Amino acid sequence: MQKQFESRVLVCIQCGKCTGGCPESGRTPFNIRMLVRKRQFNYDIEKSLPWYCTSCNTCTLRCPRDVKPSEMIIEIRSFLVEEGNIPVTLQKSLENTFVHKNPWGKPRSKRSQWADKTDFKVPHISETRHKRLLFSCCIHAYDPRCMVIPINVANILNRAGYEFGILGDEECCCGNEIRRIGELGLFEELMEENSANFEKYEIKEIITLSPHCMNTFKKEYRDLGINVMHYTELLSKLISDGSLKTLKPLERDIIYHDPCFLGKQNNVFEQPRDILKSIEGIKMHEFTRSREISMCCEGGGGRMFFDVEVPYQRNSELRVLDAKKEGAHTIAVACPFCLMNLEDPAKEKDIFVKDISEILMEVI
Amino acid sequence: MDIIVLTKRVPVTQEEELKIAPDGSSVDLSRVPFRMNDWDSYAVEEAVRLCERHGGTITSVSIGDMESDEVLRRAIAMGAKDGCLIESNQTLLDPFVRANIFKNFIEKEQIPFNVILGGVQSEDDQFGTTCGILAAMLGLPFASMVIGIDEVKDNNLILRRELEGGIQERISIELPCVLSIQSGINEPRYVSIMGIRKASKVERRYFKAEKYIEEDSSNLISVTKLFYPPKKEGAIILHGEIEDICRQLIGILKEKGVLK
Amino acid sequence: MSYTLIISEVRRGIFEERNLDSIGIAHRLKKPVYILFPDGQYPINEKWVDIMIKAQIKEQEFSMPKNICLLLEKVFNKFGMPENILLTHSSSGTECAAYIAGYFRLPVITDINGMDEEISAFYKSFYSDKVYGEFKITKKVPSVLTVRSGTFRALIEERANCAIQEVVEGIKIDEKRVFIEFVEEEKADIDITKAEFLISVGRGIGNKDELPSYEELTGLLNATLSCSRPVVDKMWLPKARQVGQSGKTVRPKVYLAMGISGAFQHIAGMKDSDCIIAVNKDPEAPIFQYAHYGIVGDMHKVRDKLKELLKE
Repeated sequence: MQKQFESRVLVCIQCGKCTGGCPESGRTPFNIRMLVRKRQFNYDIEKSLPWYCTSCNTCTLRCPRDVKPSEMIIEIRSFLVEEGNIPVTLQKSLENTFVHKNPWGKPRSKRSQWADKTDFKVPHISETRHKRLLFSCCIHAYDPRCMVIPINVANILNRAGYEFGILGDEECCCGNEIRRIGELGLFEELMEENSANFEKYEIKEIITLSPHCMNTFKKEYRDLGINVMHYTELLSKLISDGSLKTLKPLERDIIYHDPCFLGKQNNVFEQPRDILKSIEGIKMHEFTRSREISMCCEGGGGRMFFDVEVPYQRNSELRVLDAKKEGAHTIAVACPFCLMNLEDPAKEKDIFVKDISEILMEVI
Repeated sequence: MDIIVLTKRVPVTQEEELKIAPDGSSVDLSRVPFRMNDWDSYAVEEAVRLCERHGGTITSVSIGDMESDEVLRRAIAMGAKDGCLIESNQTLLDPFVRANIFKNFIEKEQIPFNVILGGVQSEDDQFGTTCGILAAMLGLPFASMVIGIDEVKDNNLILRRELEGGIQERISIELPCVLSIQSGINEPRYVSIMGIRKASKVERRYFKAEKYIEEDSSNLISVTKLFYPPKKEGAIILHGEIEDICRQLIGILKEKGVLK
Repeated sequence: MSYTLIISEVRRGIFEERNLDSIGIAHRLKKPVYILFPDGQYPINEKWVDIMIKAQIKEQEFSMPKNICLLLEKVFNKFGMPENILLTHSSSGTECAAYIAGYFRLPVITDINGMDEEISAFYKSFYSDKVYGEFKITKKVPSVLTVRSGTFRALIEERANCAIQEVVEGIKIDEKRVFIEFVEEEKADIDITKAEFLISVGRGIGNKDELPSYEELTGLLNATLSCSRPVVDKMWLPKARQVGQSGKTVRPKVYLAMGISGAFQHIAGMKDSDCIIAVNKDPEAPIFQYAHYGIVGDMHKVRDKLKELLKE
């Protein structure tokens, strides 16, 4: 499996900008600059280290030499995966994805159970005219907390008169996290299965609920000529063109948290904010670390599926403390991993965490 | 050490809601994914570790339809040398019949072995007897629920069996023997998709089950009906004053046998 | 005349409670009940069986598959063939049952949890216990059955007369498998996966200072302390005690979850516990969907009252 490597460790000048922006550095043993150095000389890397990376991509975005350290992490992980040398809980997630097409190991037959709870009957994509696919993502399909999001978005799109369909249980994991974990063979299989379905049903547009799905469809799947967007991009457009109207005001102090995969990696910063600003009564706050420098919630890179050995104060807790300092009542998120990671510490500090769709549902 | 590992391809039913045909004759498995029986993967892993330490080869044997080849590929990807598929399209429910086929196959094809390993039970039938019946048919010593193989000597093994209540028993068993492996004995290694693809290049051998079924052996047991278990209600909420509730709780703990 | 033969499960001088289910189903089968046990004093109620057969063989050797078969040859010679041979569905019970079936070429059904004597059918579960199967024996030969614990013991009825005592002589002990010793669990190691009774604390515990009181509770109940992820994140308990998707998966007899909301990453690690009891202030907490019993209330108050009652 001698693939052409995307990372370019040999041109690294060890400036340290990568470590400077890394959410894991200083708090965990993970030091990306040093790992690149070790790769330059083919030194041994302690096997627990590569698993700290959250795939936020800050290092790659900041690097002045285009070394792509985050790709290097995926490469190192892929070697460990081939050796079978990976944390046990990650193993289970990969095996579950292989058997059930989702890392939680939930039955495939229940993938679209959320669609039973919408206000209207959600059509299968084959029954629609415009071939716009709403891709739910594994966590929205199975996690009780997140399941409300596809229900909300479906209801909102229906009210705005925007036709769309779903794949139902033909949908399988997008593979974004799988690729980041380094199981490239499994990623290929998932990509093939999803792509075959996209072609079969002649999909023209994909609306994703998770920025992770959007990222991989847009950048890592083979080019299928499909317009891929995150649901906030769509809803922002529908609000500005009048198809979607907010009916009530909402008096609330809201602070928006930019997810790494939506914000810094795909440059979608304004649309989620526009949606919130369109609601009368909302007072918008901003984190000091917002937009391109938003703080990673540590949900990516497979970190949702396993725990690192070293306990430390999580970014999510720091983020919640920041929100409190800014005087926010609710942290608005646009990514299910951010939602899950922030909600735990938020509950303790009496702050709410809501997905944008949940806030919208209160006012339309 | 030459090892034969018995493996089985089973439906993954832990999270599924299963539909039984109205006449109770079968279960609808059409939307259920299949994979290697969980206990068998521990057996394969144990075999691989034994051979890594003591040398030898592993042959994986499976009875099932052609799809069961997938299970042989996984065993090979984990470290088995090759695999044998005894093809049968029937659901051979009776463990007696399965054990008989294994016994005749091993003897007729003269597969060499020092140990035969299998999993304690299969996730679908949950009988847990195929290995024991096979051992008796072959006239070999048998141990089930093996939770640790501590020593490998020239003529025997020292191993531990899992008993109830957290106790184990240490026994010595002579080679050749048959063992059924309990889950938790080890941590089966991860096999990547690339690894399984590589394993597909290793030749597997195919046989027909009819060749190994004796004239006079038929099913000794049969399933006449399948039905749903009695429904479980949601959590029973304990009511009353706090003292009342705690007394009820203690009662439940006593009933479950954890409080004497 | 045919009879039902029960092979006792005995260990370290104890007549295991699981045997009661074998006796229960034997009563329901309505044939004379004979019970076989090794050399030793066992508290078997003489009004529960018709014939008590003591085999002149040591306890450890009795429970070995080959020895049991050689012993059964003597029993069959002396008493004729039984209609059913019953063992407990347990580590040694199922092991011997399988070997007996292969040795004598008899049908075997394990883990029986019900029966319908009118149609001579036995019930057993399949597919992760999601489907029950009705089984019939198709050949007129003795059948070997292992009985699930807790299923038939309520059916035991005392007989009018005491059992007749019989003896069966010893056999040439099989040397190919030899018992060495029992190995106990080491209490020092924190392996929550081996515990029968887990008391698990979650975010609801609020404060690290509450922990010693929970440790005292686990001591009084002979339970093991475990927890959900937030407790480990705060470093109040070590990672080895974490139950959940990214911690350990446990299947104890009783899982008492206190102050745990029931996020499914946690549920994934304990949903197969035999009995789940949840204590939570929030009546809507998802854990109540997975629990068998629930207490809506303050976990500290429940803990304190339990300790008070246990110390009485």
